[in-house]
Amino acid sequence: MKVLESETTDERIIADVLAGKEGAFIQLVNRYRRKVFAMSARFARDRDDLDDICQDTFIKVFENLGKFRSDAPFEHWLSRIAIRTCYDALRKRRKEKGNVSLDTIHYQIAAESGEDLLVADEARSLLGMGMAQLNPAERLVITLLELEEKPVREIAQLTGWSETNVKVRAFRARQKLKRILEKHHER
Amino acid sequence: MKDERDELLDELFRKARLMKPETGSVEEHFETRLLAVMEEKRRDQAIWSSWTWRLVPWLAVIVIIVGIGSFTIDPGRSGDLFVTFSNGDDDYQVTSMLVGG
Repeated sequence: MKVLESETTDERIIADVLAGKEGAFIQLVNRYRRKVFAMSARFARDRDDLDDICQDTFIKVFENLGKFRSDAPFEHWLSRIAIRTCYDALRKRRKEKGNVSLDTIHYQIAAESGEDLLVADEARSLLGMGMAQLNPAERLVITLLELEEKPVREIAQLTGWSETNVKVRAFRARQKLKRILEKHHER
Repeated sequence: MKDERDELLDELFRKARLMKPETGSVEEHFETRLLAVMEEKRRDQAIWSSWTWRLVPWLAVIVIIVGIGSFTIDPGRSGDLFVTFSNGDDDYQVTSMLVGG
């Protein structure tokens, strides 16, 4: 009986990739593509940047697949790589001092009325402006904590930083954001 | 304790959370692009690797020449005291210093 793609375990697919079976890696990509895109979208500048981050993530996965130990789910390992890649992208962007624009990424609105939509879009733009002035680590932490609503423990696991470190960075990010927004309101 | 600015910030986050990134259109043909990039990377690595192998004989020749040179060329006497002691020339150096040689 033919085993359905969705029934094949990650471990089985990984073993196939390591054995050099063509197409096995794409099976893995298809399975986790949506998750990686969703995680990276909050950190990408535009569509091309998002595409690059996701490509880098999967290339790193492919290159390091041999180091994956099955003591933790593959999804956790992949998430850590994706977050690390987003962090690297934020750091690289800071060095380049490029313009921050989220305009070419489309957003799906969970708001019901047109007024809500406008308010949500304004809030996103305002926060985007504020977050662009944070350092990469602060931006990463505050995005995961406040926009993705991930618990501190999970952020610590994803980033490899201690829980205290995550809390300190989140606190500093909030303080900075408050000052930035205050200045913005004064204008 | 939370102040008014904290509440304002929380409200901004709450509103911004209503907007979820929609990535469906960027995901289209992602596998094709990914495979193309991986293939290009693999090709680049293959080129580097082949060049490295081509350079191996030349590097080996350089190592042999340097090895032969270090055995055949006499560096001569050095004025450095550390080198003198290492070479076991200390008696000669002390004598020549005392007699003004």
